Amino acid sequence: MTIGLAAGVVVLGVLALNREYRENFFTGSGVAEGALIAAIALGVVLTYRGSGVVNFANGAIAMYVAYVYTILRSNGALFLPPIPNPLKLVEWVVHLFQAHDTLHLVDIPVQISFGSSMGFWPALAISLVFCVLLGLLLHFAVFRPLRYAPPLAKVVASVGVFVYLQAVIILRFNTTVQTVRPLPFVHKTQVDLGLIKMGQDQLFVTLLVIAFTVGLWLLFQYTRFGLATRAAAENEKGAVVLGFSPDFLAGSNWVLSTVITGLLGVLVASINSTMDPVSLAALIVPALTAALVGSFSSFGRTTIAAFLLGMQVPLVLYLSANKGWFPSTNGTYWPGFEYVLPLIVIVVVLFFAGRSLPTRGAITLGRLPFSPNPPAWAMRVGGPALALAAAACGLFLFGPDYRGALANTLIGIIICLSVVVITGFVGQISLAQMSFAGISAFVVSKLSAEQGWPFPWPIFVGAIVALIVGLLVALPALRVRGVNLAIVTFAFAVAIYNVVFQNTSVTGGYHGALVTVPSWINPNNAGRYHFLGLTAGDGLQPNPMTAMFGLVVVVVLSYLVANLRRSTTGRQMLAMRSNERAAAAAGVNVAATKMLAFAISAFIAGMGGAVLAYQSGAVTAGPFNYPASLIFFAFAYLGGISSVSGAVAGGLLVPGGLLFTFLEDRFGVPTGLTLVLGGLGLILAAIQNPEGIAGRMSGIGRRIETRFASRRGAEAHQEVA
Amino acid sequence: MELLRTTDMCVTFGGVQAVDNVDFAVDEGKIVGLIGPNGAGKTTFIDGITGFVPTTGSINFQGREISHLPAHRRSQRGLGRTWQSLELFEDLNVTENLRVAAEQQSTTGFLADLIIPQRRRSHTDVDFALDVLGIRDLARLMPTEISQGQRKLVSAARALAARPKLLCMDEPAAGLDTTESQELGRRMRRIVDAGITIFLVDHDMGLVLEVCDSIYVIEFGATIAQGTPAEVKRDPMVIAAYLGSTETPGR
Repeated sequence: MTIGLAAGVVVLGVLALNREYRENFFTGSGVAEGALIAAIALGVVLTYRGSGVVNFANGAIAMYVAYVYTILRSNGALFLPPIPNPLKLVEWVVHLFQAHDTLHLVDIPVQISFGSSMGFWPALAISLVFCVLLGLLLHFAVFRPLRYAPPLAKVVASVGVFVYLQAVIILRFNTTVQTVRPLPFVHKTQVDLGLIKMGQDQLFVTLLVIAFTVGLWLLFQYTRFGLATRAAAENEKGAVVLGFSPDFLAGSNWVLSTVITGLLGVLVASINSTMDPVSLAALIVPALTAALVGSFSSFGRTTIAAFLLGMQVPLVLYLSANKGWFPSTNGTYWPGFEYVLPLIVIVVVLFFAGRSLPTRGAITLGRLPFSPNPPAWAMRVGGPALALAAAACGLFLFGPDYRGALANTLIGIIICLSVVVITGFVGQISLAQMSFAGISAFVVSKLSAEQGWPFPWPIFVGAIVALIVGLLVALPALRVRGVNLAIVTFAFAVAIYNVVFQNTSVTGGYHGALVTVPSWINPNNAGRYHFLGLTAGDGLQPNPMTAMFGLVVVVVLSYLVANLRRSTTGRQMLAMRSNERAAAAAGVNVAATKMLAFAISAFIAGMGGAVLAYQSGAVTAGPFNYPASLIFFAFAYLGGISSVSGAVAGGLLVPGGLLFTFLEDRFGVPTGLTLVLGGLGLILAAIQNPEGIAGRMSGIGRRIETRFASRRGAEAHQEVA
Repeated sequence: MELLRTTDMCVTFGGVQAVDNVDFAVDEGKIVGLIGPNGAGKTTFIDGITGFVPTTGSINFQGREISHLPAHRRSQRGLGRTWQSLELFEDLNVTENLRVAAEQQSTTGFLADLIIPQRRRSHTDVDFALDVLGIRDLARLMPTEISQGQRKLVSAARALAARPKLLCMDEPAAGLDTTESQELGRRMRRIVDAGITIFLVDHDMGLVLEVCDSIYVIEFGATIAQGTPAEVKRDPMVIAAYLGSTETPGR
């Protein structure tokens, strides 16, 4: 800690002495950014202290509230999340019998209108009421039911909230940049404070955040409420003795968190005058970094770290644009380095602090999803039958739309398999699986198009590069348990997207990085193929063989993962997931086994990226941005995190996959709804049904099996012997 | 032959000396007991020799120094343990619990596992552990489906499945009634007959005095007496510290 402080002082000293650096470090925009990061981070610390939840969704909460406010001001309307309409079913049934879509029943409104536009104060008031309700909703509907759940389940739920909030905004307003009106009561007039010149509005939010920090510190230090929250974090009985119910404390801290986060989201979005749902929500990365520096307990340290993380952004932008020694790409400006510092800070803190999260004195009653041993019939009959059915559909039955959906589902299954290994078998969360896939995809592009390597060798090299990067990312999280891997991998996902995947020398500009695809699997090849008197393909794109290549990879990887579960290594992983100490006492090398799981998982994700590269013919950055990793995690969890069949179910669910293509085709369910349902499903799965869809099915199967077994009675006993 | 010897072993938590310069030896083929009042450092002592808390001083196992080894390496050398809180792998069935301990894995062996997962089909160690403790009928059940007494046996069986040279048992009789405790004593004799030495930590004086060949008594982390059960029962320090005045020893 002291070394860190000393290093910080030295860096600040250098910054303050050099005029050029100083002017780009102490900027109004950087400080305002820092204020927003600080507010998000304070919210994270509050909810952690109040209920033990590391809230990955807090950036998304700031973003959502800012949208609520902005739409109130510009349209005078409060937009609503999509609400299921049972009348649609009636319409659908009627339309089955009628040739013309004559019946049209009432639609559920998408917004509540208050007029054509709204002034600042009423819009702010409604937004803050919304914050309070959101905080209460998150507490009562999501995190209170999870209060005794393992930390993993809480992280899963918060990722679900993240995906849901972001998906609602994208469904309603796209990912395009939204304009936000300026604040009416402060001006952009510059104030000269000596070291720094900043706008009045920027100064206002800065002082507000500092006031919040001091206020929270006083609240926790000197009031019975704060004392009780601190006591509850140690031992829930402590709070009861002080006359507070732990439930009340957790709920109050949630409301405090959403109000502070939402308020600053509104104010800073107004000062910046623009916002978009992806980059605003991604501020959770520097916010988590700041919270980590503050050990998830100190408000002061968290706020200071947050301001520094905000202030480094303009400095890094300036340096990368103006300094010859700064990394450049083909001699020109290389963007994205402002996203790297949070990752470095997280790695350093985790590496030197050893354990980052103080263990909370809460009882854990919940457990992680059960991981069944794959039954023999599934390996011998079920798997091959499913693969043959998929092949028959892909080759002979499906039209172009469904062939494309099959290809997407196959990619989805591969990514879900990678999540099964890391989360299902080992109980760690990686939020960067699509980043590993992206690394592999770009390696495949380089090797196949630029180096001329023949198919399929680039696939293996791509996956091995992903494996090596995966190991490097996982290394700092190795010594510590809990949610640290989730934090590191999330920071990595944001950094690699901005630094590498946005770099035109990697991505090849507008058309993407090209891949040399052999003609028999090239999606643009609209040929027909004749086997055994049958004709595959209908002369339309995509090529039916494209998905067949994906299917082969899926089958091979599925068997490898199922074998892993049945092997010594798989049992060791599950043993470690249940109880690391007991696993070590049974002779399991915990560190090596974890590394192995990270490696296998990143390798599988890399295979997925490589298949995606060959299936699309050109690699673009879009599919590998951080929300994609969250979404695939959501669908993997929803399908069933702990088995191969769960990965298959997850693959069916992914955006653009078979299920949603079917729903869109038959029921007109809009595509944008996929992600909303994904987020909602993830939250519900975390609370209700951690085994996922596949687990539910196999649970029913197991009950039937048990019934038969009890009839056979004696036979079953002999089998045991 | 001497299996385990500690010399000047200490465990310190903050400023508290939880285990204070304990010199201790276990001979092969014996049951050695360790008793002491609550908080005397009994579990910490087991944690120390099996590698779960840092220690100073020397720990010699089968003639080799092991105090620098991490816990899993000590386990692989033949130093097994059970836990007072059992710590079963709740996600694995009873057989799988035992197989985790029985099958040692080299980190490179996993590649073969991906292709031929069930290649190590010989279950002799698992069968041995199930038979010694008489719990073969539990083999396919999940830990959540069996009683607390059965869970204790599974916990012991898991340690036995690794075929340890020395088995450290942490309070195996806690929560058992007298009959169950006597049955446990008989099963422990069977374990010793199978060639496994036992180091027993327990509260149950009846069990310890009955099954152990020699006994150490500790208080506040330091040894206050040692000897055969008969010698320990007569020791005035032991009577004062642990047995209390209401119970007249040796009766």
